[in-house]
Amino acid sequence: MNQINQSTEHPGPDELSAFLDGELSPSEQQGVEQHLAGCHVCTLFVLSTTQLKAATARAGHRFTAPSEAFARVAAQLHLQQPQSETKTTARIYSIRPMAWAAFAAAILLVVSLLSWRQLHQTNILAGELLDQHLATLSTAATPQVISTDRHTVKPWFQGRLPFSFNLPDAEGLPSDTTLKGADLIYFNNQPAALLLFTIHKHEVSVFFMQRSTNPILSTLPNTRAGFTLHTAATPDLYVIAVSDVNPGDLDRLVAALVRAQASH
Amino acid sequence: MFNSQYLPDHAAPFEPRNVRQPEALRTMPSATKRSAEFEKLALPLFAALYNHAFWLTRNQAEAEDLVQETFSKALRAFDSFQPGTNFKAWMFRILRNGFLTTRTGIAVSRTVFLEDHPTARDMAASEPTPEDNLIRLDNQAALHTALEQLQPDLREALLLCDVEEMKYKDIALILDVPIGTVMSRISRARRTLRQLLHPQLGETL
Repeated sequence: MNQINQSTEHPGPDELSAFLDGELSPSEQQGVEQHLAGCHVCTLFVLSTTQLKAATARAGHRFTAPSEAFARVAAQLHLQQPQSETKTTARIYSIRPMAWAAFAAAILLVVSLLSWRQLHQTNILAGELLDQHLATLSTAATPQVISTDRHTVKPWFQGRLPFSFNLPDAEGLPSDTTLKGADLIYFNNQPAALLLFTIHKHEVSVFFMQRSTNPILSTLPNTRAGFTLHTAATPDLYVIAVSDVNPGDLDRLVAALVRAQASH
Repeated sequence: MFNSQYLPDHAAPFEPRNVRQPEALRTMPSATKRSAEFEKLALPLFAALYNHAFWLTRNQAEAEDLVQETFSKALRAFDSFQPGTNFKAWMFRILRNGFLTTRTGIAVSRTVFLEDHPTARDMAASEPTPEDNLIRLDNQAALHTALEQLQPDLREALLLCDVEEMKYKDIALILDVPIGTVMSRISRARRTLRQLLHPQLGETL
């Protein structure tokens, strides 16, 4: 991999792509970071490539195996255990321990499959949330409603969402936290509210979604591609915040939003 | 006498059972444990392997056969797996080697693609500008079509990186190419995707 020497010289697409994948050496990484700090064009290139990477990850998870195929493979593995071992075991031991072992193996298989499916799905959903957040970082992405006033933002969603939520007033938000605006989005094929905040100078996306239509969101990962995902639940809603801000600041914002739902 | 032709191919030949039975009993739990260990490591990879097999073969039946064969081969060769190394990469390598022996795999491996080489950046070329690329890539259908249009060696490297979240060194091991080639293929795959998506998404890309 070529060394990035000058912050004024544009890194090549291979280097920027490897930078995004975390594959450069520390010195190369630092060189690219220094360049990005002063180069708008390359920063946009990296940002758009990040979006493309997230979108590819989602689109690439495309083909799901029929459940019979998994069962066939699992059965094959059991049959493929050394024959000598199976036969000897049958002679020495009674059938009961073998039956229990088979039962335990079956349970392990089912649990593994279910766990994997949930993990797979939550990873896809986390990617989708991150992608939505990255899209808001673009200067070209203007929120559908631009306002720092909760009395403007909240009513804008009336009639657009099948649920409602509450927002704290400016005093109810943590210090140096500002509401910027909001978007109506579709997440996991369901309408959801995307609230845009800033904490210090960091952008924060907060998603409000119905719990009843998104049953597995409580198991989302806490981090994704260097961004923090904070998930909280009220009796009716999921509140999920995505940002690169300090996790403690993100926690305080989410806690304030959850408290506001109690007065809803 | 025990007929050794029925032994699994990774097992060592051994003497008649009536003579060796006590030893067989002693080794039995470890063989069972090894098999259980394999299942614990391998079965969670089933869906990922199937998804990748489908991208390689573009056929459900072939993908199922390829995955089944991969598990079978991997179990037989599990003793050769080095603990502490990347099991997922090991499984994907077996899958890929299996694919290369199929009719589809042979046809793909015979296809000559552009040479792998680092490319100079040409921001002024016909590619969309970075500003154009700041878009919401939410058009799944367009992305699926673009991924299908990628040449197979680029798509394979990109999917291992972005979908399977593998490191370049593991991808290099799976594809049996140098790391520099992996880097170049992934970068080219992304640039080709941009070019393919640009006309489909029109002004939004």
